[in-house]
Amino acid sequence: MKWVRGLVGVLSLSLMAACGNEQADDVSEDNPLNVVATTSMIADLMEIVGGENVTVSGLMGPGVDPHDYQPSTSDVNTMTEADLIAYNGLMLEERFVEVFEQMDQRGVPSVIMADALNETELLDPEEGEEDLEYDPHIWFSVSHWEAVTSHVADVLSEMDPDNEGYYQDNADTYLSELDELRTYIEERIEEVPEQSRYLVTAHDAFQYFGEEFDFEVIGLQGLNTQTEAGTGDISNLADFLVDNEINAVFVESSVSPRNIEALIEAARSRGHDVENAGELYSDALGSAEEDADTYLKMYRSNIDTIVDGLAN
Amino acid sequence: MSMIFEITLVAVVVAVACALPGVFLVLRGTTMVSDAITHTVLLGIVLAFFITQDLNSPLLMIGATLVGVATVWAIEALQQTKLLSNDAAIGIIFPLFFSIAIILITRYAGNVHLDVDAVLMGELAFSPFRRLMFLGMDLGPRALWTMLIILFINCLFIFLFYKELKITTFDAGFAAALGFSPVLVHYGLMTIVSLTAVGAYDSVGSILVVGFMVGPPLAAYLMTNKLHVMIALTVLMALVNSVIGVQLAFMLDTTIAGMIAVVTGVTTLTVFVFSPKKGLIKAFLNRRKEQKKMDQRLKTIEQAGR
Repeated sequence: MKWVRGLVGVLSLSLMAACGNEQADDVSEDNPLNVVATTSMIADLMEIVGGENVTVSGLMGPGVDPHDYQPSTSDVNTMTEADLIAYNGLMLEERFVEVFEQMDQRGVPSVIMADALNETELLDPEEGEEDLEYDPHIWFSVSHWEAVTSHVADVLSEMDPDNEGYYQDNADTYLSELDELRTYIEERIEEVPEQSRYLVTAHDAFQYFGEEFDFEVIGLQGLNTQTEAGTGDISNLADFLVDNEINAVFVESSVSPRNIEALIEAARSRGHDVENAGELYSDALGSAEEDADTYLKMYRSNIDTIVDGLAN
Repeated sequence: MSMIFEITLVAVVVAVACALPGVFLVLRGTTMVSDAITHTVLLGIVLAFFITQDLNSPLLMIGATLVGVATVWAIEALQQTKLLSNDAAIGIIFPLFFSIAIILITRYAGNVHLDVDAVLMGELAFSPFRRLMFLGMDLGPRALWTMLIILFINCLFIFLFYKELKITTFDAGFAAALGFSPVLVHYGLMTIVSLTAVGAYDSVGSILVVGFMVGPPLAAYLMTNKLHVMIALTVLMALVNSVIGVQLAFMLDTTIAGMIAVVTGVTTLTVFVFSPKKGLIKAFLNRRKEQKKMDQRLKTIEQAGR
């Protein structure tokens, strides 16, 4: 059985290769701090507050739905070298949270964005439901994101007390930029007549936005992009569009537009013309080419899309 | 231990643990049972969630295993009636259980992050970061331990019931005539298939479970006619696939489970084409030889006729 011996040869060679790779270099200096962030929004924030004292690696790239994220082998290396892990919490990173908690116990601390908020500031999934889970899309409330910014600055200062002033300064600068963003959002929203402030999107990502800026927000799918929209959901929502004379709905960069297209068709069959008014960023930032690669740019782009779509 | 080494180790243990019961699935022509299980576990998770109302409860894993067992038993019971073929029985049970789970979720738990991923981690790349701690000691990746235990159970089962498995697999009628029930052995086998599938699902994800259970045994089946040789070859193939898969994944910076699945597909196809015993090329050559022989014979007959 010569071929058996051949297979054994291949096997031992590859095992040797496996062992050869073993000397993974962890020659990382104490500075800068290696921060691993899950979503692109969090990576952006960590870079801003941490400045030159941190090296940030994001796990989920632009346009990636956190639910569909598949770690690659370089993510494994990134995680091995992490000094601090920054994640959203509230089940956004579902199956990876356990990993982060374990790493925390073994000396790689985490900073959880949702820790900046107390329970009363969080939204329940829907009225009438039990409090099984909170809405994780906290970044769409600018004031929540401000609280998160201060929280991140505090955690970084605690880990690196020598640079406390630097982190707090960065946070303060960013807080004023967030303030400008809020003003911009409020001004642009004024262009939309009050009776047409309806935001219909692919999934329930914008409830914090709706709460803060007084928009009625309706997501076709639930909080989780994996839940199927039932046929009832689509026809109910189509009726809702007709009743409230809503003419624009929005797709999301990280969610398939299929359901929204079905909704548009359903409304058309009821004799009501609805337009797909463009793509919003929900669970991930955009790319640099789309000019939506930071939180501020992403939010501005979203607001422009929403206002331009609804103001007509 | 380095990351790559630990990941390779987990991959190898999972691969071997899956491949062992896979041998008998391949021989019995019920390979897609593994696919059915990786889907119907959702029903177990949903039902257990309704009882515990807690996504982190270990009961969800137990529920998953129990429904996995129920799945294989239901498929088995349908097959025993002899009114249906194997694949038809799988085709009835698997969508039924899976869709019940989907309906329960949309109806009663629409706003809970309830799906298989939330309970069964299924990510090989991060297995070194989920460690088993005992009295403050770091014992290595948790998946490694779970799968080692399952591997041990599988080895033990095959070792203890080797003769029974062999007879019931190849000649169920003869086994019944000898006085032991093929049904009992079969249910035992299906139970360890379910246990293995759920355990492996938690460490490597669903697609790979099917690949691990089917690929190596199929390749081994194409290389030999002897059961014990087939088992040995299966283990060897499982080893080779996962070691090469992990290496390639690190070289190409991609998802590890996906890479192992690709390697498994490639090696199995290679064996399918080149196997010295039952490969495609061999079959082609055999046919040519037969044809030549036939021509020769016809010629002789013709000549004799003159």
